[in-house]
Amino acid sequence: MKRLVLAGLALVVVGIVVVAVRPPSSSPPPAAPAVDEDLTADELEGRRGALVDRVVFTQEADVGRVTGLIEAGKIQVFGQGIANPTVFRQLRDSLQADYDVAYGTTSELTLNPAGPTLETGGLNPFHVPAIREALNRLVDRDYVAQELYGGLAVPRFLPLSTAFPDYARLAGVARELELRYAHDPEAARETIFREMEALGAERVDGQWHYDGEPVRLIGLIRTEDARRQVGDYIANLLEDLGFVVERRYRTAEEASRIWIATDPAAGQWHFYTGSWIAIAIQRDQAQVFSFYYTPRGRAEPLWQAYEPSPEFDELTERLQRRDYATWEERQAMMARALELAMENSARVWLVDQLNVSARAANVEVAVDLAGGLSGSALWPYTLRYTDRVGGEMVFGTPGLLTEPWNPVAGSNWIFDQMILRATQDPVVLPDPFTGLFRPQRIDSAEVTVQESVPVVRTLDWLDVNRVDEIPVPEAAWIDWDSEAQAFVSVGEKHPEGITARTRVRVNYEEALFERRWHDGSRFSLADIVMPWILTFARADEASPLFDVAHLPTFEAFQRHFRGWHIVSRDPLVIDIYSDQIFPDAETIAASRAPQPQPWHTLALGILAERSGELAFSSNKADRLQVDWMSLVAGPSVPILARHLEAARADETLPYASVLGDLVGENEVAERYRALADWHAERDHFWVDSGPFQLASVHPVAGSLVLERFAAFPDPADKWLRFSQPMVPELDLEGPLVVESVSPAHRSALPDEGDAQQDDDETSAVRFDLEITFQGEPYPREAIEEVQYLLFDGRGNLVARDEARPREAGRWRIALTPQTLARLGTGANSLEIAVTSQRVALPTFASHVFATVPPGGLEVVP
Amino acid sequence: MSQSPAPIQRPARRGWLRDLRRLLLYTAKRLLALFVTVLVGVYLTIVIANMGGQVDELRRVQIRSEAAEAVRADPAFQDLSSEERHELIERQVALEVERLRLDEPFMVRSVDYLQQAMRLDLGRAEQMHSDRGSRAVYDIIVERLPATVLLFGTANLLVFFTSVLVALFLSRRYGSALDRSVVALAPTSAAPGWFYGIFLILLFAFVVPWLPAGGMVAVPPPESNWAYAGSLVRHLLLPVAAMFLSQIFISIYSWRTFFLIHASEDYVEMARAKGLPSRLIERRYILRPTLSPIITSFLLMLIGLWSGAIILEQVFNWPGLGSLLFQAIGHRDTPVIIGSVVIFAYLLAVTVFLLDILYALLDPRVRIEGGQR
Repeated sequence: MKRLVLAGLALVVVGIVVVAVRPPSSSPPPAAPAVDEDLTADELEGRRGALVDRVVFTQEADVGRVTGLIEAGKIQVFGQGIANPTVFRQLRDSLQADYDVAYGTTSELTLNPAGPTLETGGLNPFHVPAIREALNRLVDRDYVAQELYGGLAVPRFLPLSTAFPDYARLAGVARELELRYAHDPEAARETIFREMEALGAERVDGQWHYDGEPVRLIGLIRTEDARRQVGDYIANLLEDLGFVVERRYRTAEEASRIWIATDPAAGQWHFYTGSWIAIAIQRDQAQVFSFYYTPRGRAEPLWQAYEPSPEFDELTERLQRRDYATWEERQAMMARALELAMENSARVWLVDQLNVSARAANVEVAVDLAGGLSGSALWPYTLRYTDRVGGEMVFGTPGLLTEPWNPVAGSNWIFDQMILRATQDPVVLPDPFTGLFRPQRIDSAEVTVQESVPVVRTLDWLDVNRVDEIPVPEAAWIDWDSEAQAFVSVGEKHPEGITARTRVRVNYEEALFERRWHDGSRFSLADIVMPWILTFARADEASPLFDVAHLPTFEAFQRHFRGWHIVSRDPLVIDIYSDQIFPDAETIAASRAPQPQPWHTLALGILAERSGELAFSSNKADRLQVDWMSLVAGPSVPILARHLEAARADETLPYASVLGDLVGENEVAERYRALADWHAERDHFWVDSGPFQLASVHPVAGSLVLERFAAFPDPADKWLRFSQPMVPELDLEGPLVVESVSPAHRSALPDEGDAQQDDDETSAVRFDLEITFQGEPYPREAIEEVQYLLFDGRGNLVARDEARPREAGRWRIALTPQTLARLGTGANSLEIAVTSQRVALPTFASHVFATVPPGGLEVVP
Repeated sequence: MSQSPAPIQRPARRGWLRDLRRLLLYTAKRLLALFVTVLVGVYLTIVIANMGGQVDELRRVQIRSEAAEAVRADPAFQDLSSEERHELIERQVALEVERLRLDEPFMVRSVDYLQQAMRLDLGRAEQMHSDRGSRAVYDIIVERLPATVLLFGTANLLVFFTSVLVALFLSRRYGSALDRSVVALAPTSAAPGWFYGIFLILLFAFVVPWLPAGGMVAVPPPESNWAYAGSLVRHLLLPVAAMFLSQIFISIYSWRTFFLIHASEDYVEMARAKGLPSRLIERRYILRPTLSPIITSFLLMLIGLWSGAIILEQVFNWPGLGSLLFQAIGHRDTPVIIGSVVIFAYLLAVTVFLLDILYALLDPRVRIEGGQR
């Protein structure tokens, strides 16, 4: 027996050792070297499409292991943004790992505006705007960002995200407000005490009492992240002021049924540690005031309790409607709304949280400033090793194939979308640092708007024209008749004729129809038209594809859609008419431009849904009690394969009455043959035209493989300039002590005029600003604005102007004697806000200097 | 002095019928009791998983928040007026409420859940999908079963047979150095498998990177069957080792104590006194009478595979039933939770019933009606 046990144990040990030392079947990618060697132009020459050959996705949910896995060379990139300070420090200190920073999550304090007394009989101090406003000065946002968020956050005062273009455009105003509401606990205390007394409360033994009872505040504190510490910090501050604070620690679910679902007047909470997420750069945030501060935001009781001042209410409503004639008017409205938002302070904004996207040190990839890596549209085009071309890369991601993939109403999960993006090739792509759309499969566009519509163009790939009226041609398609299987023209639906507020003419690239789908089949016009038919057919009750879940979004679309018209078939030119407006012409063009999808894979889905075996949308699948269609795995694949076989035999072309004219000779047969070959080789139906194609899917093992699409037409370095955000780096220099102008001289100086002196020689004082990026001067043409704000010792804004450019990367602020005279004596502050066209993130610098009386600089013996 | 009546010799046939009647009656009672137990257990699960219906309220708030955020984040809806946006949100909410049947009282739904579950009609998940994309609860569960059976089957069988054999061995060497070592190491089993797993991963996946840190197979999975099997074994080593380490010592200790108690029974002493060989004593006098508890333990261990181990699977990123249940609880996906529980409940009931029968077969002392024939 003993021998048997020993022999068994020996066998087990030998087995373990053999398996352990045996090399794995596919050798893992080498660990990242610490040395960064840049690729040469020679290595990139001739390379098309993706810069790596294979990307393998694997499930990895444990953020704590990410640094170790990257250092061990087991993964090269992690898809989820990391907000954990410990992991961030590990990444920062690692030689093999590196990271990119993204914004997008915001932490704030939601205050209960009901009152002043609640149904519980208690007093709610946050009913008073002045007390809410004072909280801005009570909270030390630097402490929150540095200590509570471990440096993974930046202070935020305003409803505008500090990383989005509107904040940059209003950087001067924002800076002024930030200084006005800077941490000043004494001022906050004074205001709160005054207002509390006005409410009838009294301080007894250091505690506020109302109607003989202590003023008790209930804090709903979220427990999942650093907001737990934030909630405790706020509670401590309020307790120091004499309030009794009851801390209720709650998860998202538990808290939401209190702060969202109950009437704030019921008094179940007074403050809540809230958070908001943006997954893409929002270039236009004009609506945020209406959403966050007025009953128009949401229908829930909390929003209905908001009582903005009449001026604020009107302003927010106009901003939401984009009711302004010029861009300048909009900016003025935004600036005023920011001021009023701070006075209202139904929410106290605390920090913009930073998420880091982890990667190996020798990997580079474009990361979206708001959405991080998972929200980046350019990651497939820019992903590369810095020291070589090609190779395999492993992505760790917390979720994979979370929901079924289909191109009509499939998975919308962020990590599924990240992978899908690599297989797709949109006609326009957003710049990850500014959110501005740039052309990918479009040569140019013309945006025509009505005279009264304020639209701004930034990039030169499109033109903006203004006309009095935009009539929609009678021949334009505006609807779809499912019974007749035909488009409805504008002339048929609106014999009296209609007009639109915008027309977008999209000029597709000349070689569009030379391009191929992943399965080798060639593009055709049917790939553009069929997705449009589907949009209408799914909203038509007469169609077997009718989907009630599609209706609400379709009806919202129909409100502004005014028709589309194919102007030219080859090269393809399409006009799209709409009443929908965005401030950026690039966004208007991007949201209108039709996107091609392979009609033959859509056809399989249509056939499967018509037969009642599968459904494109989750909702319809549940209603029919069938499977939600997946083109990549599961029970859907054999069903689709059966339909492919039948369609191939019959050469079925859905909507043949329209599409028959748009497909080429033998195209139907060739498409189905190519798809059948594709399916036979890869066992799925996911076909698109992006830089990567889906090679294999392993749902249960939790992995998926993308391989480079060899026929992708674009040069591999087309988007590489977007790999790194060009955030300006500032160095501001100037004197620390300046002699002020004497009262005698001051009266002799003119009162008004430029704050700056053009002639440096006669200026009273000069400050030099150096703007660089990675040690090189920041290109002059890329700088949008260099604003400065000059504050005197009492915090009053004395001057605001723009700096003057000098030689490369150098700017100067030369203050006139008049400006200096207005400062008086004391400690002053010069604040600089630099905005760039290459990144939405503004950069700030500050210089403190003292003005002393005339002769104050003379040395006293 | 009265004479006692002579015992009446009943025909053997009547005795057999009586036994059969008793057996059927016992079986019926037992099955009924087990059925009621399963019924109550499953209904309690339904009520608890839904917090007595309070989850409905949570879901409504969640649905509304998700719809509102989706509309807020979509630039296509930015130019809608507040009323239009609210209407859009309301319509989205109504669709989801209808889909999840939240417009029906929880009590009605709970009875539906129960009767479907008892019929083993697992239905459709409300939020989740199988990894391959199916919404059928059956597919969701069955898809994860092989991974669970592989990991927990390997580890548990290894622990079970090793511990029984080693315990038997130690019971013959009571007080030896090895025996004392096992007793001393038994408290190490207080730490769960995932605790050892973390250290093993640290050691063998990061410090000395010999083995994978997690997952079931290499990424991407090897194409040849042999390479796939090899990869599977490499990925199995650490989690199996973690489970083995966490269970083995306490298991040996328990079985060793159990065998020691039985080894001191009078009939075993008598056998020893008769000079029978120790292997014969072990097999016939110790193992055979203790077969019932051993089989009970074995069968319960087997069905215990069903529940997996939530944290261990998370630590090793193992796609098993434990992590599935964890996800289902997170999503509050009642059908999936009920599906997991009802299958386990039925398995347990069937096992208990089988054990009742097996006991009677294995141990002649076990008889219906207190041993009367």
